[in-house]
Amino acid sequence: MSGDTRKIVAGTISLILAILFFSGWLQTLWGGIFDFNKLAGSFPEWFNAHSNGMGAKGGFLFALTLVPSVMLALGMVAVFEHYGALFAASKLLNPILKPIMGIPGSTAISLIASLQSTDAGASTTRMLRDENKITEKELLIFAAFQFSAGAMITNFLASMAPLFVSIVDSTGRGVPTSIATCLGVILLFKFVGANIMRLYVKVFVK
Amino acid sequence: MAEEKKEKELITEVFINGARKGWNVATHSTIPNVLMAFVIIYILNASGLLAFIGKYAGFLMAPVGLPGVAIAVILAAFLSMGGASGVVVALFAAGSITVDHVAILMPAIILLGSTIQYMGRILGVLGVASRHFGVLFLICIINAYCAMFVMNILIK
Repeated sequence: MSGDTRKIVAGTISLILAILFFSGWLQTLWGGIFDFNKLAGSFPEWFNAHSNGMGAKGGFLFALTLVPSVMLALGMVAVFEHYGALFAASKLLNPILKPIMGIPGSTAISLIASLQSTDAGASTTRMLRDENKITEKELLIFAAFQFSAGAMITNFLASMAPLFVSIVDSTGRGVPTSIATCLGVILLFKFVGANIMRLYVKVFVK
Repeated sequence: MAEEKKEKELITEVFINGARKGWNVATHSTIPNVLMAFVIIYILNASGLLAFIGKYAGFLMAPVGLPGVAIAVILAAFLSMGGASGVVVALFAAGSITVDHVAILMPAIILLGSTIQYMGRILGVLGVASRHFGVLFLICIINAYCAMFVMNILIK
């Protein structure tokens, strides 16, 4: 029991650190050693000056500039997960899922899994349904949650996060938001979408 | 048992395994997707089709602070998020969208992301009846549109 509590405490700290790491709030602290963008670093000027081509070659060169950010992001996610960030998140979600989404707390682990991998989320949810731990209506609500922004963490970090490092306009201005803000907005609308489905299920599904 | 093994793993190994996963995602998904997006945008741009689409999609995108050409990003997102990110970059490189527009688009791309693929990988696996697919797609579109609206306010 105490081991479990310790895991939750460590996991919660890890989760908070993960949010801070991707938030951009710690950019100036200790030379930005706790900040994703700072750790991602930058390419030398001569490379940036020559990486805005067109067509397949332009695309290839640009895509290469995304690779280090993707590797850093998924490497750090693995570290945060190692210290139980996702485990803690599922424990914290457990009691609030019923009121905010109308699905039982037992789906928390599937829900957290679905943020990282659509396949892990869908297969564990299917198991819950096959074992009759969730109803058909709850499955539909959960499906809406998973379907919009499937595997949001992995996909955002792989496809969008590198743009924060690579897109800068001629005046030196970068993309005016942060990874954590975007992930927050995405998560918010996943819940909104699930609740639209909750309403639809209530009205149209017998 | 598996837990114990995990504890013994060095933290550097954990990072490297994650980074390796990142390398696989980047080489198998990001690079080909971005390359394709650049080629498609080149074709759309050179043929004048992009400007044409942009002109007629303007009314849809204007309420969320985006130019009409941004519709190309939205359409790409349904197929692939990596592709949509390539479209964003190609449009940015061509000067058609600004850094503000990129910020507005980011969450929306993920909310619509690869839903064509996920029809099978999520809805198929879950066993959701196909009569509900329409409403599920509609929810993704509502989510994305509202997210663009919110982002447009947040970046002000």
